[in-house]
Amino acid sequence: MVKTFERGISIPDYKELTENMPIQDLPQPSELIIPLRQHIGAPNRRLVSVGERVKAGQIIGDSDASVSAPVHAGLSGIVREIGSRLTQTGQLEDCVVIEVDPEQEELTCTADDATKLNKDEIVQRIRAAGIVGMGGAGFPTHIKIKPQTKVEYLILNGCECEPYLTCDHRLMLEYADEMIAGARILSHLLDDAKVIFGIEVNKQDAIDLVRAKLEKEERMEVVPLDVKYPQGAEKQLIYAAVGRSVPPGKLPAEVGVVVQNVATAKAVADAVIYRKPLTERIVTLTGSAAVQPGNYRVVIGTTLAHLLESTGGLKQDVAKIIMGGPMTGWAQKNLEAPIIKGCGGVIALTRDQAVAAQEYYACVRCGKCVDHCPMALYPSYIGMYAELGRYDLAQEWGAKDCFECGICAYVCPSHRPLIEFIRQSKRA
Amino acid sequence: MERNLSLLVSTSPHLHAGDQVATAMKDVIIALMPVTLVACYFFKFNVPFLIMVCILTAMFTEVLFRRLMQKEPQLSDCSAILTGLLVALSFSAATPWWLAAAATFIAVGFAKEFLGGLGWNRFNPALFGRVSVIVFAPWLTYLNNEFFYWRVSFPGIDTITQATPLTMLQMGLPLPNMGTFFIATQGGGIAESSAFALLLGGAYLLYRKHITWHIPVSMMATVFIGTALLGQHPVYHLLSGGLLLGAFYMATDWVTSPITKKGQIIFGVCIGIIVVIFRVLLAPTEGVAFAILIMNAFVPLIDRLTKRLKFGEQKEQVISQHTVPAGTKMTVKN
Repeated sequence: MVKTFERGISIPDYKELTENMPIQDLPQPSELIIPLRQHIGAPNRRLVSVGERVKAGQIIGDSDASVSAPVHAGLSGIVREIGSRLTQTGQLEDCVVIEVDPEQEELTCTADDATKLNKDEIVQRIRAAGIVGMGGAGFPTHIKIKPQTKVEYLILNGCECEPYLTCDHRLMLEYADEMIAGARILSHLLDDAKVIFGIEVNKQDAIDLVRAKLEKEERMEVVPLDVKYPQGAEKQLIYAAVGRSVPPGKLPAEVGVVVQNVATAKAVADAVIYRKPLTERIVTLTGSAAVQPGNYRVVIGTTLAHLLESTGGLKQDVAKIIMGGPMTGWAQKNLEAPIIKGCGGVIALTRDQAVAAQEYYACVRCGKCVDHCPMALYPSYIGMYAELGRYDLAQEWGAKDCFECGICAYVCPSHRPLIEFIRQSKRA
Repeated sequence: MERNLSLLVSTSPHLHAGDQVATAMKDVIIALMPVTLVACYFFKFNVPFLIMVCILTAMFTEVLFRRLMQKEPQLSDCSAILTGLLVALSFSAATPWWLAAAATFIAVGFAKEFLGGLGWNRFNPALFGRVSVIVFAPWLTYLNNEFFYWRVSFPGIDTITQATPLTMLQMGLPLPNMGTFFIATQGGGIAESSAFALLLGGAYLLYRKHITWHIPVSMMATVFIGTALLGQHPVYHLLSGGLLLGAFYMATDWVTSPITKKGQIIFGVCIGIIVVIFRVLLAPTEGVAFAILIMNAFVPLIDRLTKRLKFGEQKEQVISQHTVPAGTKMTVKN
């Protein structure tokens, strides 16, 4: 019997397009657009100026604020511009634009003896590498591993519950050792918290592989989880894996749990053992309009245009391009946005697959959104009150506790833009 | 690569399960086909005629009211057709067409469109229309005189002059054989022709997941237990009158029933209790319709009373939300 959480929904996962495609390198881009802020927290100030030469791995933006993470240049080159550029969310962010040197120096990182480091030094290395949650949230990792309360469990999130995405799946298969090393480091920082790898059973090969590698580990185990959306949402994952409920407005650490994405754990190992900054990530390029779907190693700052051009372009009838997952990601109006630390997927859809914003109708109170809401909220009422401008009542029915998984709008037979209504209610 | 692509931009989620309101409406119409066919067998052409009158009236009324309210007609959601069909089925086959048309007009025009259209109505439109012509019967009699020469009657009507099983039950007359009664009986409303056909349609709705067991089962169980306790024949009560039609097709109406399963059970039980009161103590007709309409009014209250806790929320927290935490300072701005 595999574990899971209450409510939620099963969605066709479309992962067969890329789940068996090994990670490939992308040809080197000629330009990088690196947003100075790729995390939740204080914005970074730029540390380079226009015309300056930057080395691969050099810090180009940082902040003195504690909740922040530096950003690095992934490749050497010359800073051509610093200014507002379009990012994946559709908002403008300050970006450093680097003209990449065609000839790159081979960057060699050698392992040094991390076991001699004390905890503060390890945390310092994690921060210096600019590591943030790579599942999409982008919360700085060095903050998350210094909780105020005693942590009993470290859960490694390998659910990848968003349809289409397979980057974490491939990472678990191809970088299992690094991921486990990262988990060991994180567990050490959390006073030897027990490690649980939460993986959905649609990735049986990853479950088997990680299990085999953990055979001799006493304080690490794999917990197979049901294939259900949003299994990888932090609170839902904690409930499924260890049976604890995080109260509204509280952090997981308050119930003794810290969750980290599997890709984050791998990045931690790179940072602590090899002192390698976070300058690349695995991105799943997929969807019916992608010519060469696959899992690609992409330098942070690579534009959508380069990613698509170097993988054969787009099919003729492309209608929608999404950055992130299909349930929570952002539709792009052009190909300018760069890949950032938290972006795990680019999904290009043909007209027949793309859902367009369409006319919506009044709520018919079918109750599907209420039945499936993982937070046990009432999207139906929230939407109705938001439409009437009664945001106070929308909040009374739970608007502020929504993490926008998208299920309510996914199931709505009246095609109501419920997530949009909820966002309005939160802002009010 | 061409950079001037024209791409769709919309907010997340970018997937949809594909459910449509119209699909559900069409499925309810399909679910009502078995009982309609049985009724056609008994009452011949009177049944399709009455259904046609009601559906056309429903569609006409929706267009009329939406035009008056300067809104686009929304016939494609099929809700007008379904309301028309439900109104027709709630009458007996001998009902004059103008009376059924008046009920449909009230159902679609006032109970639905006037209140804002599908989704905003508080009462089940079909039942509201049906009950209105009973309540306003004294005023509607003039219709009977006006339209008397326009009456339409086809062969097959004579069979329904006999007493309905429910009145037989009330009057203590010998009841028909249970088996025949279950498969098909003549008498009463069109939809009372076959309990079996109604259950078949109900099963289809459950299979298609448009309804869940909560309302029909809680409602029928309450009637069964209630009538048994009062010394009546529970099975006859279950199979006769509008109970099955009400339990599977009327009380389960999405718009006018509670949104949570817990609320739906409370709703079903309360309807059951009111049905028992009506059937045993009050007038023998339309107890189910009145019971459902009465409980429709309580749906917002039931929703509020059965409001569940959010994920991870404890009972004490709900209370503490309304109290000021210790140490809160009050600032007064001038």
